[in-house]
Amino acid sequence: MPETITQKVIHMVVNGKDREIEVRPNELLVDVLRERLGLTGTKIGCEAGECGACTVLINGKPTLSCLTLAIECEGKEILTIEGIGDAAKGELHPLQKAFVEHYGVQCGFCTPAMILTAKALLDKNPNPVDEEIREAINGVICRCTGYMQIVESILAATEEMKGSVHE
Amino acid sequence: MSKEEFRIVGKSIPPRELFDKVTGRFQYVGDLPAELYGKILRSPFPHARIKHIDTSKVEKLSGVEAVLTHKDVPPRKLPRRDQRACYILEDHVRFVGDEVAAVAARRRAIAEEALDLFKVEYEILPAVFDPEEAARPEAPQLYPGGNVYGPQFGMMVEKGLNEPVIMEWGDIDVGFKEADVVIEDKVEVKPQIHSPIEPHICIAGWKGDELTLWTATQSPYEVRMSIAYALGMPEGKVRVIYGAIGGGFGSKYIERYQPIAALLSKKTGGKSTKILLTREEELCHAGRAGAKIRVKLGVKKDGTITAIYLKGFFNLGGYGNIIGGCGRFGEESPALAYKYQNARFEGWDVHTNHITSQPCRGVALPTLTFAMENVIDQAAERLNMDPVEFRLINLPETDTLMPLKPHKNPIYPRAELDAYPAQRILREVAEKIDWERFKGYQRPVAIEGPKSRGLGITASQGWGGFCIGGFINETVIINNDGSVHILSGHTDLGTGSNTTLRQIAAEALGIPIDDVTMATGDTIIGHFDMIGARGSRSMTTAGHLILVAIEQAKNKIRQMAAPLLEAEPEQIEVRGKKAYVRGEEERAIFLRELLTSTVKCTVGGDPRDWLLIKGTMWPMVAPGKKTRNPVVAASEVEVDLETGEVKPVRIITGNSPGRMINPTIVRGQYIGAAAMTLGMALLEEFKYDENNSVYEHASLADYKVPRALDVPPIENIIIEEVVERPLDVGGPYGARGAGELAGLGIVASIANAIYNATGSRVRQTPMTAEKVLEAMRGEKAKKR
Repeated sequence: MPETITQKVIHMVVNGKDREIEVRPNELLVDVLRERLGLTGTKIGCEAGECGACTVLINGKPTLSCLTLAIECEGKEILTIEGIGDAAKGELHPLQKAFVEHYGVQCGFCTPAMILTAKALLDKNPNPVDEEIREAINGVICRCTGYMQIVESILAATEEMKGSVHE
Repeated sequence: MSKEEFRIVGKSIPPRELFDKVTGRFQYVGDLPAELYGKILRSPFPHARIKHIDTSKVEKLSGVEAVLTHKDVPPRKLPRRDQRACYILEDHVRFVGDEVAAVAARRRAIAEEALDLFKVEYEILPAVFDPEEAARPEAPQLYPGGNVYGPQFGMMVEKGLNEPVIMEWGDIDVGFKEADVVIEDKVEVKPQIHSPIEPHICIAGWKGDELTLWTATQSPYEVRMSIAYALGMPEGKVRVIYGAIGGGFGSKYIERYQPIAALLSKKTGGKSTKILLTREEELCHAGRAGAKIRVKLGVKKDGTITAIYLKGFFNLGGYGNIIGGCGRFGEESPALAYKYQNARFEGWDVHTNHITSQPCRGVALPTLTFAMENVIDQAAERLNMDPVEFRLINLPETDTLMPLKPHKNPIYPRAELDAYPAQRILREVAEKIDWERFKGYQRPVAIEGPKSRGLGITASQGWGGFCIGGFINETVIINNDGSVHILSGHTDLGTGSNTTLRQIAAEALGIPIDDVTMATGDTIIGHFDMIGARGSRSMTTAGHLILVAIEQAKNKIRQMAAPLLEAEPEQIEVRGKKAYVRGEEERAIFLRELLTSTVKCTVGGDPRDWLLIKGTMWPMVAPGKKTRNPVVAASEVEVDLETGEVKPVRIITGNSPGRMINPTIVRGQYIGAAAMTLGMALLEEFKYDENNSVYEHASLADYKVPRALDVPPIENIIIEEVVERPLDVGGPYGARGAGELAGLGIVASIANAIYNATGSRVRQTPMTAEKVLEAMRGEKAKKR
């Protein structure tokens, strides 16, 4: 039975918090985040690394959590949508705020992945042009918006973020 | 009321649920836990009878808690709107991927493992895939009454009539005789898969004899009604919770997987059982109907269209929905796109052993527009007329009596078009795309090396803003503090309709939008809606009914306030949480002083089936008028003449939303619909190997939906033409639907632009590089 497979303890920093989790060697990061840590903002759309909905940031880099084994994340920093802004206090990251104001969201299923991917871009390149934004988010499929209002949201956030540091 | 007088209508207020969506707090069905995981065993054959199923090994697998085959389902069919009723499971399978059996287990891996343990003996039956072939009496039959699902469309009608749907006026024989030029051509459209990023999902659980179903659906009351009927339960004992939907586009109605989950759960004593379709199931299960359409068009030298004859075969697949097929030619659209003197539209909705057709954003209209604009463009070219000029001659306008002659079978009343600025939209779209660059049909607007640029423009029309189909129940409750709570039967698919509806109510009551709350997303409120979030109708239908209910509530308050204010009820205005004498605002009483309880009004339109009330829905929308939406699309493409690759450079949509309630939401709908049909035009290729029964597009790597780099800038021409009417008559504040209406002409405009760039007509979707090259070679061969 698969239950007998040896579990392994891994250490990750998830949204700024140290986590020690016992995982099976075949356990996917997305399942650990969603099912073990209750971070359901990370979505599953295809389980094959094609739709991008499961994107999280690992050490700042957009990564498909449905193709990533949890044991590969030993010692790494994971950022999910729950880790940006401060929803409990009603405070939004400029990207989140821009996605609301410029309606870069419709059904919302790709939104966490879109915002995290955009954050990784802006962390590297604070002044991207339209084409650079489209290249960055090309791995995340949105079926609702046709991307225009997403690109506009990201451009608006770059304006807002000029000269300030945001986590 | 002039635009300036609105406080809330016309403002781009962000939907309040966006806060939860951008923070990851918005809970979709997949984010809820369940005790069991269900999987469905699917048919490997396109057409077969199940002779025997042995489930003994499945049942013995540790962790399996329930098994379901056709022997375990009730002997009653699921009634489905516009779709042939079917059993929850049956011993007859009709396409590869059809449901055969199901299992629920404690873990998903166990349920997956269990699928391999079913032993099924099939008797393979002859299959048919082409809708035209399937319409012939000698074709393999999927249903005892024949494959053609005729024009009867009853919810529980078991057999087809083997007849086409016909819409006709004048006499096409006379029309073609009058013509100086006759063009005939045909196009073929492959299925487009809706591909919402959230796959179909439900969780079913029972408490005693009551079922709760959490599901992502556009049509919750249809789900409730169908399951209750098939399971022999009162509708009130089926509760459907549907508050979060990760995209639908016409794919998420009542499906077999929902009652399957309910029956699996029932077998375990009610344990919550989740079924989530895999991406492969999602891509090989249902889609926009494939179709083959022939069109013959007659025109006079002066450009007048004398006759059109359209004959289309729509592939309904195993169980398809006729709205996904010719769909009664969608409220005459696009038969009314132009002033056709004589017309015959003949639509064959035919079952085949293909995936099931489901309405997909714009239903058959992108397909029909492609078929028609292909010949419209050819006719204009033969007459040596500019594409824009030719269309302007034939486009109807506001107050044009349409159709030009009475319908032979009067399904729809003949009436004048209401607020229909088609010609103006066409002119403005042409100007925006800089149509002056167009030098001639076969003369590209620019050539650089192997790259050739072309322009294409098309006109069409669609519904949107209608009030039909059991309407929607809406209750307006004016609380004693003057704030308002609305119980609404509509479904917000993620389009922001909850917000536009709250804006409409806030405007009508003169209160801030934060003082309007809304309950939807749960059938426990019992606010029926037969057809759900479809046909771009949520805001228009629900909005109209909310305004009717508000007017009734105001009347109640007027009666109560009148004696206290020493005035007649008719003199009293109810606004801003108070009742006052019109023109004397100081003679007022605050609602919190007037009311110790709530004032509640419920409306629901005509509950009879819309087939019984033919023609009566339109007066509700625009008395004595025909409400339609003119639609224009223009595209600029760059074609690589060596590889055949088409790059869309620019897209302009042209629409008339009446009055926009929330401009940013309207624009988002227009861009979204354009992008989705751009995928249909160029990228999304359904591939089924009929000989080996294999789907070759079963992942998003192979089935290419548009990504950010695939979509060019999409700009919108929006003309707000509004007819002022009393608030409880017509579309809310003169608003029209938006959801599908920018997607109708994209495929057609891309095809026309490719022709301009290459001199070759591509007559099949998607217009991949191979198809473009093939068309170019064909054209060369013809010229030789």
